[in-house]
Amino acid sequence: MSETHRDDRAAGAGQDELLLAMAGITKRFPGVVALDDVDFDVRRGEVHVLFGENGAGKSTLINIVAGTYPQDDGTMTFDGRRITHLTPHQSRLAGISPVFQEFSLAPDLTVEENLFLGREQARWGVLRKGAMRTRAREVLHDLGFDLRPGARVGQLMRAQQQMTEIAKALLQDLKLFILDEPTASLTERETNRLFALIERLKGEGVGIIYVSHRINEIRRVGDRVTVLRDGKKIGTVQASNVEETKLVEMMTGRRIDALFPDIAAMAGDAMLDVRNLSTVDGRLSDVSFEVRAGEIVGVAGLVGCGKSELARAVFGLDKFSVGELDVLGERVAHPTPTGMLKRGVCYFPSDRVAEGLALSRPVRENASVAALDLADFTRWRFIRRRQERTAIKRIVEELRVRPPQIERSVDHLSGGNRQKVMLARGLTRDIRVFLFDEPTVGIDVGAKTEVYQFLGELTKRGAAVLLISSELPEVVNLAHRVYVMHEGRIVNHLEGNEITEEAVLASFFGTGADAPSAGAAAG
Amino acid sequence: MTALTPPEALGRRPLKALVQFVVLYGALPIIIALMYLGFGLIEPAFHSGENAINILKQSSYLAILAAGQLFALLTRGFDLSVGQLISLVSVAGGLVMLDVLEGSPGAVALAVFAGIAVGLGAGLATGVVNGVCVAVFRINPFVVTLGMLGICMGFATTLSDGFPVFNLPEGLTNTLSRADVIGIPVPVIAALLVLGTAYVILNHSVLGRSMYVIGSNPRAAHTAGLRSRLHLASAYVICSVFVAVGALLLTARTGSGEPNLGGGLMLQSIAAAVIGGVSLRGGEGKVIHAVYGALFVTVLSVGMNLIRVDGTIQQIILGIVVVAAVYLDQLRTRFR
Repeated sequence: MSETHRDDRAAGAGQDELLLAMAGITKRFPGVVALDDVDFDVRRGEVHVLFGENGAGKSTLINIVAGTYPQDDGTMTFDGRRITHLTPHQSRLAGISPVFQEFSLAPDLTVEENLFLGREQARWGVLRKGAMRTRAREVLHDLGFDLRPGARVGQLMRAQQQMTEIAKALLQDLKLFILDEPTASLTERETNRLFALIERLKGEGVGIIYVSHRINEIRRVGDRVTVLRDGKKIGTVQASNVEETKLVEMMTGRRIDALFPDIAAMAGDAMLDVRNLSTVDGRLSDVSFEVRAGEIVGVAGLVGCGKSELARAVFGLDKFSVGELDVLGERVAHPTPTGMLKRGVCYFPSDRVAEGLALSRPVRENASVAALDLADFTRWRFIRRRQERTAIKRIVEELRVRPPQIERSVDHLSGGNRQKVMLARGLTRDIRVFLFDEPTVGIDVGAKTEVYQFLGELTKRGAAVLLISSELPEVVNLAHRVYVMHEGRIVNHLEGNEITEEAVLASFFGTGADAPSAGAAAG
Repeated sequence: MTALTPPEALGRRPLKALVQFVVLYGALPIIIALMYLGFGLIEPAFHSGENAINILKQSSYLAILAAGQLFALLTRGFDLSVGQLISLVSVAGGLVMLDVLEGSPGAVALAVFAGIAVGLGAGLATGVVNGVCVAVFRINPFVVTLGMLGICMGFATTLSDGFPVFNLPEGLTNTLSRADVIGIPVPVIAALLVLGTAYVILNHSVLGRSMYVIGSNPRAAHTAGLRSRLHLASAYVICSVFVAVGALLLTARTGSGEPNLGGGLMLQSIAAAVIGGVSLRGGEGKVIHAVYGALFVTVLSVGMNLIRVDGTIQQIILGIVVVAAVYLDQLRTRFR
């Protein structure tokens, strides 16, 4: 790729500044036009954000750049050269390095082995392990990532796997860096590291395509933003001076007055009462909390602080060693998912692919699955298929699942619609206590507002809602009370006006507002 | 072909119909029909009415076994013990019939019923052990059913001393193999009953629904409150009971309790299910797939017999077809 060095930087602007230029890109999949005549370009040293709802065509576009599949129509120029018949291998050789949400890591290999996967350094057919380890250390240190090169990838947390993936992408000669929702699983600190890295790469003239749903991120790192909707390009704007509402409007095609609805608290009787709960695996110790009818209770904390385990233990997915659990005033000694659903408690896991949905099965089956013990859907353990169809159809329309086809298998749906299928379970039976774990992770802003409205609807009906979330604005704006967790314990409880991002953050690293590290983390 | 005909030509219409048929029902019915026609061109005797009945009857046994295997496959497992369970059921059922006849000669009906009851009991017990080991103790189905394969083989050989159990009552063969109801052979009727039961379980019962969800995503099944252990274990119980039914019918056909009856049937049952279109990844597969697969394997083997392909070579061909079928299944999902 010596062409890059030939280019006339002194001449400055014009054609040479464009690293990637795509024109009239069209891509069809059976039954859908994923991209329709889209123009897109990236300049050297620029972060170009791709913004849009799930299914808008963002993934298709970056997959074409990465050579995963070819476009049906349109042209692509990279680094001054017209590119046709791109394969993933060629795109990497050309200096295009994608980091997708689905990782390309081998779980049984170590971080270091993964970094050099497919380009191992060898002499006489023998791996140069020492040299590779040194280089891996350098790269990881350089990035400021806290990763052990010898750690087995399958045993790492998702955030650490994400860092490995990023490090892997950086090991090669890099001209175009593609990041697909990179911060979805990163903590604040790691996100800051990533943004510092992006700044550095920009300085080196690397072009960056940054796919994101998160509006505040776009402002922080983006130079330009291109909004896609339904496979079409809606427009490109400067990131620095664009209004948030304007972006959401472009993305959804409709006005959104407020992202977070105002949900009135009408706290009634305690629906869920947990006292001194500890789990067998030690991830929760001595936790006490309650959720009342008609209120949203938020749970905040760092990744791994035990906030997810809270819901899992209550729902009977994690065993507890000591503690008392009352649901609607009744003692539950041994919670199981089956039993908790019968009592009117439903858990909505954060990882919908791994734990929530049977992807290869239709929407109908995924929606009704938690209510198959009810007379509404079954008689003598046989399914009343007509009743099932009617009920699920109604719920799917109420939740505005798109497309509203109940026989479509769930793997064809976007993240937001998958979540709606999950939520449908809460409407198939009389659920009084809703346990949400990261209900808006991986879904677009449009679907997010719908989820928020759904939460408001539930509380209005007198349901008790536990909202576990890593998105602080979500917790702060929606919850009536907030518990903050740290290392398996509840370290703070905030109510009403006390709930601010600063107050919640202050407790992230331990007890109370006087924790010394709190200020550093917030900044 | 499409290059020669202009887009608007009438010639496109049958092609389009064909494509639609394949999309709806898969390519297998067409392949089976072509195979049937093809073997008939080589050996005209293949197209006789007698042979058609023979193929139907033969595929009935395999369809029952494949339907059993379908339940194990749906839940992301498989059952390797199928073949040796057939031998065990055959030997145990046969011995019980002889015992009853020895005690009270002439009580043929009683003997046959006792034999059937013991045979089904053996199937049930095997299925329960397989199911509990897989679902409760979480042992890999490959290991569990491989162990069970050995256990069944051991019992079958010990009980029979390795020799066939001869002198089974004529009544057994007459009723369960040779008889027909309004022209439909009893094995075919039995197969229709078993397949019908499988269809109702899979499409209309909570158990069947649950099995699909477990096969598609076991963790999601648990989170959704399904009693997944019970349902997972049930898959193996249903599989073994179906297999026991098939084994009794096969015993009636040979007229003796055979310790080697099930030899090649484990491969054939998995082959039929997989060729028919049941996914090895679990959560996908229908009863009709077992029927397609059984017809395919039977037409292939009857056809090869008629054109005198050596038995060992038939095994080789079947093995290749199975591997190819799994590969095609992977291609299909990749292009979805």
